[in-house]
Amino acid sequence: MTRLVCPFCGARELGEFEFRKTLPEPGGTPFAQVYERIERPALSVEHWQHVEGCRGWLLVHRNPSTGDVLGTELLGGGPL
Amino acid sequence: MNVPARRGSRLGATTVRFTFDGREYRGQAGDTAASALLANGVRLFGRSIKYRRPRGLFAAGPEEPCALLSVGAAGDVIPNVPAPQLALRDGLVCWSQNRWPTLALDLAALLQAGAGLLGAGFYYKTFMWPSWRSYEPMIRNLAGLGRAPRACELPPVSTEHLCCDVLVAGAGPAGLAAGLAAARAGARVVLCEREPVCGGELDFEGGTIGALAAADWVRTTLAELAARGARVLTDTAVVGGSGGLVIAHAEPGGVAGANAIYRIRPREFVIATGAVERPIAFADNDRPGVMLLGAAERFLARYGAHAGRELVLFANHDRAYAAAARLRAGGMRVRAIIDCRTEAEFGASGTAVSLRDQFRRDGTECLPGHALLAAEGGRGVRAAVIAPLAAADARRTIACDTILVSGGWTPLLHASLHEGGAPRYAPELGAFVAGAEPDWRRSAGAANGALELNNALADGWAAGARAARRAGASGDAGVAPAGRGDDAPRLVPFCRSPARRVDERRQFVDLQNDVTVADLRSALTEGFQDIEHVKRYTTLGVGTEQGRTSGVLGAAIVAELRGVTPAAVGTSRLRQPYQPVTMRSLAGDRVGAALRPARRTPLHDWHLAHGGVLEPMGLWLRPRYYRASGADAHAAAIAEALRVRTTGGILDGSTLGKIEVAGADAAAFLDRMYLTRASTIRTGRSRYMVNLREDGMVLDDGLVLRLAPERYLATTGSGHATHVLSHFEHYRDTEWSGRAITLTDVTEAWAVIVVAGPQSRAGLGQVLGAGWQQALARIAHMEFVAGDFAGAGLTVLRASFSGELAFELHCRPSLAVPLWQALVDVGLPPYGLEALDILRVEKGYLVGSELNGETTPMDLHLGLASLGNACVGHELLDRPAFHEPARRCLIGIRASDGCAKFLAGAQLVTADAQTRPCGYVTSSVYSPTLGEWIGLALVARRTAIEGTVLTACDPLRGGNTTVRLVPPVHVDPDGLRMRA
Repeated sequence: MTRLVCPFCGARELGEFEFRKTLPEPGGTPFAQVYERIERPALSVEHWQHVEGCRGWLLVHRNPSTGDVLGTELLGGGPL
Repeated sequence: MNVPARRGSRLGATTVRFTFDGREYRGQAGDTAASALLANGVRLFGRSIKYRRPRGLFAAGPEEPCALLSVGAAGDVIPNVPAPQLALRDGLVCWSQNRWPTLALDLAALLQAGAGLLGAGFYYKTFMWPSWRSYEPMIRNLAGLGRAPRACELPPVSTEHLCCDVLVAGAGPAGLAAGLAAARAGARVVLCEREPVCGGELDFEGGTIGALAAADWVRTTLAELAARGARVLTDTAVVGGSGGLVIAHAEPGGVAGANAIYRIRPREFVIATGAVERPIAFADNDRPGVMLLGAAERFLARYGAHAGRELVLFANHDRAYAAAARLRAGGMRVRAIIDCRTEAEFGASGTAVSLRDQFRRDGTECLPGHALLAAEGGRGVRAAVIAPLAAADARRTIACDTILVSGGWTPLLHASLHEGGAPRYAPELGAFVAGAEPDWRRSAGAANGALELNNALADGWAAGARAARRAGASGDAGVAPAGRGDDAPRLVPFCRSPARRVDERRQFVDLQNDVTVADLRSALTEGFQDIEHVKRYTTLGVGTEQGRTSGVLGAAIVAELRGVTPAAVGTSRLRQPYQPVTMRSLAGDRVGAALRPARRTPLHDWHLAHGGVLEPMGLWLRPRYYRASGADAHAAAIAEALRVRTTGGILDGSTLGKIEVAGADAAAFLDRMYLTRASTIRTGRSRYMVNLREDGMVLDDGLVLRLAPERYLATTGSGHATHVLSHFEHYRDTEWSGRAITLTDVTEAWAVIVVAGPQSRAGLGQVLGAGWQQALARIAHMEFVAGDFAGAGLTVLRASFSGELAFELHCRPSLAVPLWQALVDVGLPPYGLEALDILRVEKGYLVGSELNGETTPMDLHLGLASLGNACVGHELLDRPAFHEPARRCLIGIRASDGCAKFLAGAQLVTADAQTRPCGYVTSSVYSPTLGEWIGLALVARRTAIEGTVLTACDPLRGGNTTVRLVPPVHVDPDGLRMRA
């Protein structure tokens, strides 16, 4: 099942979430951070937001070639 | 004439009247259009798409390639409904397709005379002079399946969302076993069956399951499933899905019924959709009277309809003999059984052997090692031409009116392959089965190649029990019941009869698209080797049939022609939906007003009651203008704008996006979010601010109010609040996580009334009363005062988007209407978006047309980029391309000739002979203040010099206008009016 596990809300359907970006390799120039995205077929690290739920931001590890979600974790320090 | 009632497992006794091609027929309750017409002796159901060859019934399900009907009265017709899926109802009107003027006499069938010429790519190769385009309209008019309806009023289709532990697609023996096993283990089960009745082929194959006759087992199983809370959806086909969401479409009685769409989210998915019979290709195998063997069995058992009187069977497996015995028992005469297996392959023991002996004793010719080479007859089969495979020249004919063909079974992989995945070739089936599948999905039963009843039951049971276990059900499913049905088919793959090259033009592979063996050969000869290329060149397996009968057959023939195995050829991608779904079903209940939500401001009803003409803006509905202001939109807008400049007016600004940003780190956070610093705004003041995207382009603009040292109100463009909030939340939770910042969308918590014009202060003072006089007199431009009005909080911000002295009132929504009405009563009439646009273009203020995602702060002369604030996006502002002379920047334009008009979207080119493109118009309005058309434009920096004359080209809307470049602020450039 393509579901994302939101740390607050539990496993929810993909449609509740919104993709924001694929994380670039760390440490590049600002230009590289924005534009030089390398496709990693086996592992893509992405930012998603649970827009139709708690609005929390998730770090999603995904295999784009199979569509499998390898793991999700909460980004940053959590809710205030 | 009183025809004796037919008897069949799906038939009732009532008579049903319907018309086909204008003629009335009678059928029985439970009939389909196919079975009723077949029982009425109708053989001709339509003509083929390309050659207009007469076509009859070929199959008994959605795989039917030929007998596609249009349903309904003229002009309100639903095309391409497979006749076997069209449930009969009283008064049904249906029509054959692809014929003119009538089915029997089709003028385009004269094309048949040239049939030998019309190979793959014929049209493109032939109609080349002077160009394909000159022939295309005529050819297109002849092409296509059926005709699209001109108008079709059908009720909206309901959408139901289902969640379950185990979803089973298909309720044949394997699907029922899977459902029962899962339900016994304690799982919540949903079963989808595309037929109106469960049980698959058990209704004609018979057999026993456990201690029960097959039909009784189906009944008791359905009862137990119901008792265990399983949901069984009949007439409901799984048509597609993605990402674990499965879409099923219920179409009881075919089209125009009470359709429904199910969006199912199962934990586990068992695919038990069964297998579809595939034909063997022989010359003229498309003649009416050639039918799949299993279809004849279905028509007999379910509807008591005979496929014909004198049958010849052509098959490559043992099951043909059991089927022949049942057809004979049903009253049809079996003239011959042509078996392309050799005597050695046929074997010496088993049920088929004894059945064959019996047929021979009764005078049926049973010919092993033979092939059926061709069907004879024009609009109906008259005879079969046969020959031994070892001596193809020794041909002879057997008179018959029907040829039943069976070349094996193709597992229906649609549900597992819609999302990709590589099927695996199974040589014992001569077909493909699903390859590796994700853990949550399993094919079972005939869909998984388990064709024998006992194997199908065991396979389905195991899949159901596994799915229940994986879904967390802890009960014991028990063991699968044993089944006894037809023997193993012992099939020897055989895809086409021997043929001379010239006859390959009449060996049809895909009946729906008129693709022959000759077409496949021609595709391969011309270099289209891959099966996907062959498909596209020849149209093999496109259309409503989607390769169900033709896909594997085509792949096998391509393999033969290429001299490789079918495994090396593979099969083309199967596409959603599994069977045609009408657009109204896809739309579901999201039609008309339910298409999307409408956001209304607290003043919505007032606008409607006072002649406000609303228009959608994002999800919001906002007044464009008020009817009382002028004769039409243009006149009203001009009158409203002039009124604001001379006296005053009010605008509903409630759609303004508002985000409250609070916390100890709010100031530091907003410094990062905006190009200019928020931390230097004094409490009680506001500032015009701009956000950037991370690539340096302007995202949005708005005023930021500092409500308290640690509390800000950030306003955004109408409809941008959600996006800007998400942008803020992203940075709060990533780059600056762990800080004390709360973000709240308060857009709908505050109604906003804009009061603008020279008399706005006086009018407002009258309305707000003495307590506010001092504050109104005191507040400077961009300052605000929070106070109390009528017992509720009111914030008055002095800011202007019109260039006039203006105030924004932020109040509780319930206060909006009384406050608004009071302002109207003191002589401040409302103005709408059209007037707002005039006022802001006159002042050179920006909206989405200029903040279009392609403009930087430098392009818009925001003059803020050099401040060096380390905000999101600032690092990329230094890119060289942003500073090149070709980069477009904002400038004002006016028509050189005072009354000439130009519109937003017009392209700007140099006025010299070279007409070099140099930009485009982003906004244009008629300015009543200046008495001419004015606008804003993005023009290349090197050209954007005031006084330059350019041409605004707008060929589709009125031609060219000469314009000259002026400063972007057209009216009151020094801002004296709004600071008054």
